[in-house]
Amino acid sequence: MEMGALIVTAGDDVSNAAQGLSSYAPSWPVLGKSVLERWMEMVRGLGVGRVSVVDRDPQEPNRVHTMFEWAKEGVEHILLIVLGSYAEIDLLDLVRFHSEGQRQVTRVFDQQGPLGISLLDRNCILTNRERAGQDGDLPSSRYDFLGYVVRLSSTVNYRRLVEDALQGRCGIQPKGFQIRERVWIDETAHVNAAAQIHAPCYIGPATKIKAGVAIRGCSSVEHDCEIDLGTTLDHTSVLPNTYVAPGLYFRESVVDGTRLEHLARGVAVDLGAAGLSARIGTPARRIPRSLKLARNSELPAPDAKAG
Amino acid sequence: MTTTAPVTVKRLPESCDHASRRFFLREIKEFVDTSHRARLIVDLSAVEQISSQSIDLLLECVGHVESGDGEVSVAGASPQTAVILELTQAASVLNMFPSVLEATNEYQLNDFDSRKQGYPRHRAA
Repeated sequence: MEMGALIVTAGDDVSNAAQGLSSYAPSWPVLGKSVLERWMEMVRGLGVGRVSVVDRDPQEPNRVHTMFEWAKEGVEHILLIVLGSYAEIDLLDLVRFHSEGQRQVTRVFDQQGPLGISLLDRNCILTNRERAGQDGDLPSSRYDFLGYVVRLSSTVNYRRLVEDALQGRCGIQPKGFQIRERVWIDETAHVNAAAQIHAPCYIGPATKIKAGVAIRGCSSVEHDCEIDLGTTLDHTSVLPNTYVAPGLYFRESVVDGTRLEHLARGVAVDLGAAGLSARIGTPARRIPRSLKLARNSELPAPDAKAG
Repeated sequence: MTTTAPVTVKRLPESCDHASRRFFLREIKEFVDTSHRARLIVDLSAVEQISSQSIDLLLECVGHVESGDGEVSVAGASPQTAVILELTQAASVLNMFPSVLEATNEYQLNDFDSRKQGYPRHRAA
């Protein structure tokens, strides 16, 4: 029985940022991979043959069109995921529950309400073309999910997910090499020996951590970042391609280029004008250290990983 | 008899060019030189987000005032400025108050407590 999965994203809607509210964007990586990538892995783990990602924009008919085309081509079940949460749903159990039920639609709920995840039958899509794309419009069975879920509606929730992952409270495995208990450092990251790295934490690919930097309190630094001399990150996430100036103290914050959101104070600040952070470019090419060494054995010794 | 230490309220110069900085620091130095345990309240209520030059100036003030055994407070910092002061760790050498009124009230309260407890906090006249 063929199955398709349609994941609906909101794109990088940062309209809230302009109003000084949470600037969370779905593309933000969580310890090396975005939530979208993690959903796709879960779906592929189910053995789903067709996976498609479409934008939530109501002007774009992609969602309904894709589902209808798949249904016409004989796809029996379509898993519709409107990306608004990270939820560790046992998709196999969801399929089993749906198959045993009487309805053509099964919707997933947690204690707070619907999670935007539905499983639809082919016939339902073919006979209700327009309504099938609207979550909640059709009579449905209710699948109650009691496992781990975080609604990704704000930067606060993003930090919660990062902390839960680093503490092992959810199933997210940080991408990269675990150098010691709950410390993950990508092999292409450069961590100066004089940096203080306190578990749990994550340091992503091609990121440079300079001397005297202290990273603690479930902090994460995503790919292609540079944390300059002596800066402290405490319960803070630094998003990709961000430079952070020397001698600063960050706590309970998310830094994305020049924008800082201070979660404890509930305020967003532009650090660019004061020269405290900047957006930096992606290096042209990242080569894993093991490959570098294989290609050129005379490369200088890499910085020692902090112990 | 006890006296209260002198308190002055200043605003940071709008422009942080060399001349403005020099003039501002000269005023601070004069205030420190003619006072004992001077208390400087820097009113930031007109500043939306403090610049790095202003932070440098503020830290120079702290240096001058502390050399005279005094203390510097900032009052009325916007949420954005408060974050910048925390990031740059300037907040660790400053007393922070929501408003100038609360800063001056705090000083008066401290003076009153000092006298009541019989160990004057400030030099006897």
